[in-house]
Amino acid sequence: MSFNSPLFFLFLFAVIFIHFVLSQKYRSAFLLFASFIFIGYYNLASLVTVISFSVFNYLIAKKIIGNRMLYVASLIINSIAIVLFNYFNLSNQDHYFHISSISFNVQSFVVALGLSFYSLQNIAYLTEVYFKRLQPETSISNYTLYNSFFPKIISGPILLPNEFIPQININAITKEKLIGGFHLILLGLVKKMVIADRLAPSVHSIFDYPDNYNGLTTLTGIYIFTIQLYFDFSGYTNMALGIAKMLGYDLKENFNMPLRSTSVSEFWRRWHISLISWFTNYIYYPVVYRLRKSKKIAALAGIFITFLISGIWHGIGFTFLAWASCHIIYLSFELLTKRFRLNLSERFNNSVYKTISVFIVFNAVCFSNIFFRSQSMDQALRLIQNIFSNFIPYNWLSEFIAPLAIGGHQMDQFNLMISLFIPIIFLLFERKINKIANQEKFNISFVVTSLLMILLFGIFASGSRFIYMQF
Amino acid sequence: MLEQLQNVFRTVFQDDNLIISETITANDIKMWDSLMHLELIASIESEFNIVFSFNEVMGLNNVGDLLHLIQTKKK
Repeated sequence: MSFNSPLFFLFLFAVIFIHFVLSQKYRSAFLLFASFIFIGYYNLASLVTVISFSVFNYLIAKKIIGNRMLYVASLIINSIAIVLFNYFNLSNQDHYFHISSISFNVQSFVVALGLSFYSLQNIAYLTEVYFKRLQPETSISNYTLYNSFFPKIISGPILLPNEFIPQININAITKEKLIGGFHLILLGLVKKMVIADRLAPSVHSIFDYPDNYNGLTTLTGIYIFTIQLYFDFSGYTNMALGIAKMLGYDLKENFNMPLRSTSVSEFWRRWHISLISWFTNYIYYPVVYRLRKSKKIAALAGIFITFLISGIWHGIGFTFLAWASCHIIYLSFELLTKRFRLNLSERFNNSVYKTISVFIVFNAVCFSNIFFRSQSMDQALRLIQNIFSNFIPYNWLSEFIAPLAIGGHQMDQFNLMISLFIPIIFLLFERKINKIANQEKFNISFVVTSLLMILLFGIFASGSRFIYMQF
Repeated sequence: MLEQLQNVFRTVFQDDNLIISETITANDIKMWDSLMHLELIASIESEFNIVFSFNEVMGLNNVGDLLHLIQTKKK
């Protein structure tokens, strides 16, 4: 039941209505029940997994203070779950892996909805309790709701219990929250259906058939993928935040206009914020703290280990390692040249320096995303090779527009122009659009424009999944 | 002590004109980010001959917090 499916909207409407009319003391129990239905609809194994992990971590946290063995063992159990889930993700096929001559066959029962996201939450929770920065939770139902809350279970945002559980008892649903939430859901739908899904065919064409295209066409397809990924994932986050708001909960924002970043480190402070905060707090800082006497070497080691683990978290394979390696190189370069770049920015005109920096960072991120999207290293290397061969198309219509538009008819070209025009306009006015969507006062022009955009230009294909569901 | 701390800041952030006060935070110094934070901490530890725990390092919000922590450690 994806956030953009008709069935989900029926479910959502019923949940928001019943939750709204229920008395305060029954609301959390109802939300827990609704979340169980949402997860159980995906598959029963997911429901069993989320309940088991919630109970396990809830009980462990009560005994963990001062017990290092238990802390380490519980981290290992949660980490193994993440690796298993990501390695054998979302496929109904059986998987085989080999150690020496022994062949293992792992059935798809390990597949569980959002496991890698709530496992990160559980690791954070256990760490906070172990180091006495947080008290163990006293209510198992509240803790289970925190883990299973359906708006955030698929792909976050990742929260600490103290950012969520206190809201269970307050849970005030106001007219303003209902309107604000509705605005955010509309914004998310526009991003997903009108922008990301419209761009998907061009990306599919360039990435999955990389043999045929020349440099500029390939480069444009690669740019389009980063834009598609951004609108897909930030659209999902807007919807998650909007749904939570309509149920009386405020979740953390996960994106802050990352495509305007002037450095890769700034990009990582603006992209998938809750995940990178998790990696910074629970991997980067502890590593650098231990090695801090080595100064720059410590920070470099921290970057290396953090992104290596981030790469493995996203999936096991050389493509994810290559993606992680790109960011290790970018961030290490930025660390070592920080003073030089700061002097350079002071010497040049600020807006010129900023524009050039945004362009360079966007290209660097797009380059790393070649590995992120490619099915294999061969495919990624082929794409890179294509960028540098026959850069300017000989015949613009057949070599540039037709591959990106998936067809040579006038209608296909018109469709492509719309697909490219909307995200460009959106990105130019992003700050303003976000401000309007976050208003808690009903904005009729925003609502009508969004609905018209969805009806006129939206993709209504069934089964269109959010890209980040796979992680 | 503030002056001694200021010298550490100037060395780590390679800026001889840097002036710090108790209310200064990481947002006020462009060079001060998560990549540089623990390098600053390590330099302060060796300058004042003290050791910070991980929780202490993570709990710092501004230069004032840092100064008070150093004063407590030196007592």
